[in-house]
Amino acid sequence: MAEKSGSALVIGAGISGLRSAIDLAETGYHVFLVDKAPHIGGILEQLDHQFPTNRCGMCKLLPAVEPDQASQQCLRRGLFHGNIEILASAEVMDISGEAGNFCATLHQHPTLVDPNRCMGCGQCAEACPVEVKDTFNAGLSTRKAIYQPAPQALPGTHVIDLSACTHCGECVSVCPTGAIRMAAADRKKFKILVADEASSVREQLQTLMAGEGFLVDTAESGEAALEKLKSEAFHLVLLDIKMPDMEGVDVLKEALAVQPSLQVVMTTACAAVQSAVESIKAGAADYLVKPFSEDFLLPQIYRFYEESGKGRQRELSVGAVIIATGCRYFNPAEGKDIFGYGLYPDVVTHLAFERLISGTGPFGGRLVRPSDRRPVNKIAWIQCVGSRDLQTDSDFCSSICCMSAVKEAMLAREIGGGQVETVIFHMDLRVFEKPFQQYLDDAKRSGVRFQRCRVHSVACSEDGARLAIRYVDMDGAREALFDLVVLSVGQRPAEDAEKFSEMLGLELNPWGYLAPRPFSLTETSAPGVFLGGAVSGLTDINDAVIRAGAAACGASKAIHKSGGSLETVESADDGRDRDINREEPNILVILCVCGDRLKALIDMDVLLDRIQTEPAVSQCLEVDGLCSPDGWAKMLEELKDKPVNRILLATCAANAYAHRRLEIADAAGLPEAAVQIKDVFPSDWFAGGAPAKEQTPYNTGYVERCLKLAIAGLKGIHWGPAEKIPVYQSALIIGGGIAGMTAALAIAGHGFRVDLVEKAEQLGGNLNWLGRTIDGADVAERLQTTVSRVNDNSLIHVHLNSTVADIRGSVGRFQSTIGEGKNAQTGHHGAVLLATGGVEGATESYGYGKSPAVMTQKAFETARSEGRIDPAALSSVAMIQCVDCREPPRNYCSRVCCLSSLKHAMYLKEQNPDLSVYILYRDMMTPGFYETYYTQARRKGIIFFPYTPEAKPEVVVPGQNGDGASRLRIRANDPIIGQSVEIEADLLILATGITPVLPGDLMSKLRAEVDEHGFFKEADFKWRPVESLAAGVFACGLALSPRLIDESMASAEAAAMRAVRMINRQYLTAGRKIAVVRHSLCSGCQLCISACPYGAREIDPEFGRIEVNPLKCQGCGACAAICPNSATVLAEGSETEMFEMIDAAMGPV
Amino acid sequence: MEEEFEPTIIAFVCNWCTYTAADLAGTSRLVYPPNVRLIRVMCTGMVDPKYIIKAFLEGADAVLVSGCHPGDCHYINGNLKARRRMRLLKEVLSVFGIEPERLRLTWIGASDGIEFADTIKEMVAQVKRIGPNACKHQTVV
Repeated sequence: MAEKSGSALVIGAGISGLRSAIDLAETGYHVFLVDKAPHIGGILEQLDHQFPTNRCGMCKLLPAVEPDQASQQCLRRGLFHGNIEILASAEVMDISGEAGNFCATLHQHPTLVDPNRCMGCGQCAEACPVEVKDTFNAGLSTRKAIYQPAPQALPGTHVIDLSACTHCGECVSVCPTGAIRMAAADRKKFKILVADEASSVREQLQTLMAGEGFLVDTAESGEAALEKLKSEAFHLVLLDIKMPDMEGVDVLKEALAVQPSLQVVMTTACAAVQSAVESIKAGAADYLVKPFSEDFLLPQIYRFYEESGKGRQRELSVGAVIIATGCRYFNPAEGKDIFGYGLYPDVVTHLAFERLISGTGPFGGRLVRPSDRRPVNKIAWIQCVGSRDLQTDSDFCSSICCMSAVKEAMLAREIGGGQVETVIFHMDLRVFEKPFQQYLDDAKRSGVRFQRCRVHSVACSEDGARLAIRYVDMDGAREALFDLVVLSVGQRPAEDAEKFSEMLGLELNPWGYLAPRPFSLTETSAPGVFLGGAVSGLTDINDAVIRAGAAACGASKAIHKSGGSLETVESADDGRDRDINREEPNILVILCVCGDRLKALIDMDVLLDRIQTEPAVSQCLEVDGLCSPDGWAKMLEELKDKPVNRILLATCAANAYAHRRLEIADAAGLPEAAVQIKDVFPSDWFAGGAPAKEQTPYNTGYVERCLKLAIAGLKGIHWGPAEKIPVYQSALIIGGGIAGMTAALAIAGHGFRVDLVEKAEQLGGNLNWLGRTIDGADVAERLQTTVSRVNDNSLIHVHLNSTVADIRGSVGRFQSTIGEGKNAQTGHHGAVLLATGGVEGATESYGYGKSPAVMTQKAFETARSEGRIDPAALSSVAMIQCVDCREPPRNYCSRVCCLSSLKHAMYLKEQNPDLSVYILYRDMMTPGFYETYYTQARRKGIIFFPYTPEAKPEVVVPGQNGDGASRLRIRANDPIIGQSVEIEADLLILATGITPVLPGDLMSKLRAEVDEHGFFKEADFKWRPVESLAAGVFACGLALSPRLIDESMASAEAAAMRAVRMINRQYLTAGRKIAVVRHSLCSGCQLCISACPYGAREIDPEFGRIEVNPLKCQGCGACAAICPNSATVLAEGSETEMFEMIDAAMGPV
Repeated sequence: MEEEFEPTIIAFVCNWCTYTAADLAGTSRLVYPPNVRLIRVMCTGMVDPKYIIKAFLEGADAVLVSGCHPGDCHYINGNLKARRRMRLLKEVLSVFGIEPERLRLTWIGASDGIEFADTIKEMVAQVKRIGPNACKHQTVV
């Protein structure tokens, strides 16, 4: 294993945190991945389907090059990567230090369950008498106080919800492995002081807590309490906020001065909650509102007891920090328009709806109403609940809800077999990313209805059976009945945004989100600290993954800059590379007998007899108690010096050990694939439902079959040593715009040579004509500093007036010709980045070209910055959005044009308030915090007319009708008054969007694909957004899709991170689970070349035979299935192996 | 009394989706008939028709091939390749005297543990109706 010195802390293990962690780990850093929740995956664990594919695909986050670094399994089951240490149920309490040298203090919350013992059998949850609302299912169902936090997570370790657990001990008594620790003996050492004026309260609390075994003392006044605290040590104080002699807060302060580690919980009557909140700031641990019931109070006391005794502090030294703690969702019950939320059970949030239709949800994926479990026939979505709403102080768009509603509606129709009626009540439909417009069109075609209006209210229908939505559309007030109403609730800042802001001095935006620096989506004002994902505003997966990559890039640069070495450390050969391919299978079968339980169910002698008749099995080893650390250690001990080359571990809960396969492999000196862990007993045998003794022959047969299947699989493994391919440690970047330059600086910042090829005579691309952003940031200044940083960097070689004439090779080894003729140079690079940008779309619509008064956005921007626009001389300006965009053939949104129009409109209005500005639009695309500019524009008196593609505006240019008119005339329909209006304008600005200029010939030479619009086709839009399926080829900026400057730069950094990961070592190690060709059997039909989705196969021109690129091959086996001669052999799943397994599955037992 | 016919089903399940779902069905302790024997493959796109024919010739009463939903394949389009292959194979099976309904292709995502259990239940019931695979008796070594 290669490791890089240096480590990073990633806070939050959602999509973004996972991506950052994997990026950094792949590059070679050690990563601490911390999450407050007891599971990884963040919100994604709750979403089975994500737009715009309506499916998952999260596994595509896993490394594609050098795949053996991580476990190859669904990410919902967990992530196991050699360089990532996952710390769940942990919270970051403090971060100090500086970039390159941070010290983070972590508090690990106790879960009372020992993960090394828990096998996830779930008997504890069955025994637990406490039922609470299941937050994982958005409150639609209940769970127990001891529970499995994510349904698919391995090893299925349960945790105890300390805020609900009553410590009754039921779970302890049923746990078969003794994994739950709830010792009563320690409670005597936990001293609690109750300080309250009322003797009744003192007595009640004392009796209650002493009954549980705690040591309780009381005090009737503040003085008395302080006296006691001075004389002896306490763990917890329950302190009344109003003491007779002094204020509770003062007692608190003095108490903390006496015993700084003391936990003080304020008790208060309802009326004094505000002062209790104040006391938290003074150092109180929490507050409780009186009067309290036993059921409520006891879990709270236990929570403090467990936290103080068993919560572990841990200090981590890291070089960089990424904050990716996501965001919260708006609670509609807090709003002014609650739309029946909380009143009617059939009004749910969109997150609840996701759980409702999930296979792991409360109703097993059936589309039924939460209230009566009856089938749903008609569903409504109400958009912008808690977004784009000044009443709830949310002058922002939550960016994802339009698409998630579209997805949910399509899924509902799919589940209901097309019979479910779905209506989305919306304002604008924000389809601002490349595939979204087509996705929306698909939804409309599939029968999802869209109603543009604002909903007034949701009420119960007259018969009480359904929900009535009241709304106003162009024809007046209406009412429609639905079975289920889904509220698309907006975003709210992460709970700990403020905490991190104070801890690290980070800026918050006006709505409380952590704010990045100008021209960046991830950098903060604190060097070495980066923001990932939705912590700075809600994003979809594509955006979150790009930001995560950019954050990882920043972190990596920070670590590198402060001396974190890029030198790789090769650890000693430890058997992981042993070539067992050519060795005769020699299998050790380890059978965990679980005390006497297995013997009671099966005939052991018969089983062992039959297994040992299998020639490949050399030995059967009976072990006991693998689920206990002792049993496990003993088993590992037994493995030493065993002359075997494959190991089969047969247990009852294979999943519980799956992540420890490497431990066994290392103990036996074998590669990981030579170890298989199999469930050989049906789970219900041990979970209560043990079969009767008379079924012994059947049971023995069952176990035997399982073992034989696994043995057959093990025999067939062709797992050779990993191939190492030397790498050219430099990168080629094509395109010297802001994306290309940013990527160049990022890669050079890691100490690698970059060739930056620009076809124009200067760097800068589109930034050369852009003046300011809508935020008021100075583009020209930014361009200038970037260009000079590029020019000053000795590792960046800029080739102006040049193109890449030719390129061949693949990941790690590209050879290119830069420039032409005499000046041509040969380049050797390990990775290629396409940053070829885009240009403003051409148009002939709306009189463009017929009159100088009709201009494009770029022309206006240029004219304005050159001073050719005099706002004072204008009286009316019109703008038309979506010109030749968002409809075939350019059926995508260009993202930047609405903001440009707003920017231009506000400029004109500021310069000349008497000027009339009209914006004719389809949907205003102001996602995220850009919404506020839309609000400002309307306040400034800019007039907006929506139009539909069916009724586009008409433009009459001067002189066109021969009527001698001197001004442009634009006819449009005003839906508010329901009449057509005519606007006279001095100037018409057309938003024609962006078209890509990707060099097609280079793309085909790189074997990278172009999408239908001419943009770079991502390996996966959501999960692998900056790379091609052809490994080693990346893209950023406008070459990917239309994007803003900061978004271009983020994509450039994300792509640079991926590229650095390819070139930071002298060798890339291929995966071992790949396909090889037996040339003697191959007829050269080349069917496999077209079958391979990764372009991993090509014909060797010299020998005329098929060659497999082991770095590109993912081992999917498409080639093997198509090969007519069985000439392709898979390392796992070869023909021999499959046949053996079918034989074992069907053979006699 | 004649013993009830208990069919044997061979299921080729993909590592990423259906295997996860099968596992979920197990860990959620959903009850489904023990007639199914799982063979994990990396992708349904690697299931060569000869594996299925072999399973039938060895006497399997039904074969299930199950992977990720279209568009969800870890290997981009392996499941679509499987879909084409299975469609053709069904045509061929009847020539062999094997009822095409004995072969089934399904998409079962990672979270669909319930769907996996239901699919197996349904298949077992269906095969019980059709009866044993005739090939089982014909192939005599």
